Amino acid sequence: MNSKKVMIVYRKELMEVLRDKRTLFTTLLLPVILYPLLIVGFNAIMARQTGVLEKKSASVAVQDSVMNPVSMAIIEKLAEVENYTILPAAGNAQSLYENKDIQAIVSISDSLTASGLTTYQVYIQYDTANEQSMTVYSRLKDKLAESKNDLLHEQLELRGVHTDVMEILDVRPIDTASSQRKMGMILGMFLPYIMIIMLLTGASVVAADLVAGEKERKTLETLMVSGVGRLEIVIGKYLTIITLAMLNLVVNLFSISFSMRYMLSQAGMDMSGASLPLKSIFILLAAMLPLATLFSAILLSLSTFSRNMKEARTYEQPLMMVSMIMAMISFLPAIEMSNLMALIPVINIALLFKAVMIEEYQISHLLITIGSTLILDVFAIWATIKLFKTESILFRSDDDSGGVKAIKKNKASFFSPYNGIVYFSIALLLLYYLGSYWQTQDLWQGLLKTQIIIIALPVLLIIRMLKLKSRDVLRLKAPKLLPAALIPFIAIPGAILVAILAQIINAIYPFPEQYLENLTRLFNMDIPTWQSFLIVAVAPGICEELLFRGLFPRFFEKFGVKFSIIITALLFAAFHLDPFRFVPVFLLGLLLGYLTLRSGSIYLSMFSHALNNGLALFFTAFATQPWIKVLISDSDNLHYWVALPAAIVFGIAMYIFHKTTGEKPCVE
Amino acid sequence: MIKVQNLVKEFPKKDGSKFYAVNDASFIANDGEIVCLLGVNGAGKTTTMRVLSTVFQPSAGTAEIQGWDIRTHPDKVRENLGFLSGDTGLYNRLRVHEFIRYFGRLYSIGDAEINRRMDEMAELLDMKDFMDKKIEFLSTGMKQKVSIVRSIIHDPPVMIFDEPTSGLDILTARNIVSFIRSCKERGKCVLFSTHIMREAERLADRVVLIHKGKILAEGTLEALREATSQTDLDDIFIHYVNRSNLETEVQAHEF
Repeated sequence: MNSKKVMIVYRKELMEVLRDKRTLFTTLLLPVILYPLLIVGFNAIMARQTGVLEKKSASVAVQDSVMNPVSMAIIEKLAEVENYTILPAAGNAQSLYENKDIQAIVSISDSLTASGLTTYQVYIQYDTANEQSMTVYSRLKDKLAESKNDLLHEQLELRGVHTDVMEILDVRPIDTASSQRKMGMILGMFLPYIMIIMLLTGASVVAADLVAGEKERKTLETLMVSGVGRLEIVIGKYLTIITLAMLNLVVNLFSISFSMRYMLSQAGMDMSGASLPLKSIFILLAAMLPLATLFSAILLSLSTFSRNMKEARTYEQPLMMVSMIMAMISFLPAIEMSNLMALIPVINIALLFKAVMIEEYQISHLLITIGSTLILDVFAIWATIKLFKTESILFRSDDDSGGVKAIKKNKASFFSPYNGIVYFSIALLLLYYLGSYWQTQDLWQGLLKTQIIIIALPVLLIIRMLKLKSRDVLRLKAPKLLPAALIPFIAIPGAILVAILAQIINAIYPFPEQYLENLTRLFNMDIPTWQSFLIVAVAPGICEELLFRGLFPRFFEKFGVKFSIIITALLFAAFHLDPFRFVPVFLLGLLLGYLTLRSGSIYLSMFSHALNNGLALFFTAFATQPWIKVLISDSDNLHYWVALPAAIVFGIAMYIFHKTTGEKPCVE
Repeated sequence: MIKVQNLVKEFPKKDGSKFYAVNDASFIANDGEIVCLLGVNGAGKTTTMRVLSTVFQPSAGTAEIQGWDIRTHPDKVRENLGFLSGDTGLYNRLRVHEFIRYFGRLYSIGDAEINRRMDEMAELLDMKDFMDKKIEFLSTGMKQKVSIVRSIIHDPPVMIFDEPTSGLDILTARNIVSFIRSCKERGKCVLFSTHIMREAERLADRVVLIHKGKILAEGTLEALREATSQTDLDDIFIHYVNRSNLETEVQAHEF
């Protein structure tokens, strides 16, 4: 890579982008004017509204069924509220209340206690869904508290007790939060959300313009035949998007912190010492930088994939939606930053943000957040470079969509990445709603139904509807003898290695109790072992493989074999709807994908999958046997030393497998 | 000099089969010579040129530009190549001199040298009035001139023009034609593609007839006239297309 040329591309793109009024507006100008306007405007309206409500006249109907001096005194007290009219409740009080002609109905009754004291009950009928009625209630309540105080004084004096007894317990809260942290608390709630959305919006305008825009304006080819390589073009453009995203971020951060401060001081909070410390701003920028680079890389690859700007903007929508939902985490009070949370992109930034704002963040969380985002980042930029070098993507002209008729006419067009994702989403929805429902009805029947009806059947239906050859499409081909014989030596040590990995993860981030219970339930169903084996090992081996190693790779194979293995493994892991097992299942998916696509036979991954699942069952079934203690410790964990022989066997078997399966079968 | 050897470029079709946009093409274009790649729309002209200019990777075979292999030295190929097509886009938000300087820098030419060449070309093509203007405000003719300067800012020995006059009015097209001639006069190797027979007749020293990705014939106009005993290039072209169709049929019968 020629860094000088990268800089030439970068400088030119930056200049061009900054000359675009639309970009300038959304990335720089909008945040500068938006927050002050929004916050100051909102604030003014709020202040006015509450003031208006306080002063607004109201009518209250009083139903006095006691009619003694005490109740009269209470009513008199209520009448002290400014602008409030107290009416005796007539028969139509209820309908007046419903018509909002009166805002509350107060009824007073009395009763005698066991010691012979007359007590008074004041019922206030009001509407919590109506702001005016709420104000009326709180003002009436204040007055009634005064009445209560008066009555108590009276009673104490009557009994010859000094009234200071009323002060016997006085609760006096001392707020230790500095005005700074108070502001941080409020800012930390919604600032991350706004920032993440602004970051995406700012970057997406630029990203769509940089590649899809060049395609649309027919300048991309000119650039590609000039004296610059593709890598330099990608990196130059990538840096441009990051720069704009960061610029957008800085402007946002400063703009919002200034206007928030103004708002809080307006709201009557003492903000004399409150300002977002420069240190916090820098920490936030440092944490947001990897996210900005990640978003930039994803947006750049979407832009590369798109044929024009309009298409690019369409592809950005799902990313926007997912990020918004993840960013909303910052609104939830119960979720706090942890090492595990720090691994999840977007969510980690949202939570870190919150912690930084109240100055309670941990350096380790900051580092994990930055590190994990950077790892994803490397993957995203690698994918973008790869896309940029794929001519069928960069010069994509043919239309992917075409409806069922077109698909029937041209079967191969069904296997587009878009259709793959749609298919996956539908299957996931079915699994989530229908599958879970079946499983709560009856666990083992539900599992079996899920496997057959939701996972396997649609695959076979599609093959039949499109009149495809299932043997070719799903790779239902007999494997060679040697690779097949190697499968136990790959699957079993592979499963052991993954299990030990899961153990290590568990040791660092312990799984919740409830979760482990559910998992054990799966292996301790009240059915014969052979039946368990059928449901937990054989059925998923066949059904899940038909979908994930048979059908799904076909949707993504135009990106190449490696990519289709990775993406189907990701879908496979996501399909298990289990964040704790995501990584182990993903690894299993990679292995199974490799076995099938390398050998050209799905039977190998079916066999392998069944062995993998069966192994867990095997250990559970024989957990009480003395001989198994060689492998498994008392706490039901595999001994760590087992990893070594497992790794050796796995390595050798994989090596032989790789050597004996052809180069060709991957893409026939 | 351009040397194309058994070049193949295939694209996957949706039904899984392959489409051969360029099928075993071989030809040569020498320095100081204008060679025309002549064929109907969809014959494989643009694909051939995209492969030659390293936008596409060849599926098989190869080509050399000034002795540099397009597969192994794409950067060297681009340095020795000027590329211009009829529908080339420009960066509208840049000024003319910024635009030209950008491409000059990408070829690693020093600023002083870029300025010198830019002044020279501006003089030659009568562009002085709009060198400081933003490209979005230029007329089609002006834009075409900017594209010309962009394509030769690095003074490449080989020029490739892909349908250079398509979509242009007569006056602008004439500018291009005279530019192509001037390239030849300066000893450059010129390859241009067109589907307009008259343009080929007027400009080309030699003609390469391409149809359905295959080279049907190659030679000077005189040689092709003699070989087919036709005078009009249209008729010569049709003659070869018919012969090729016949051959395909015969082959189909043989198998």
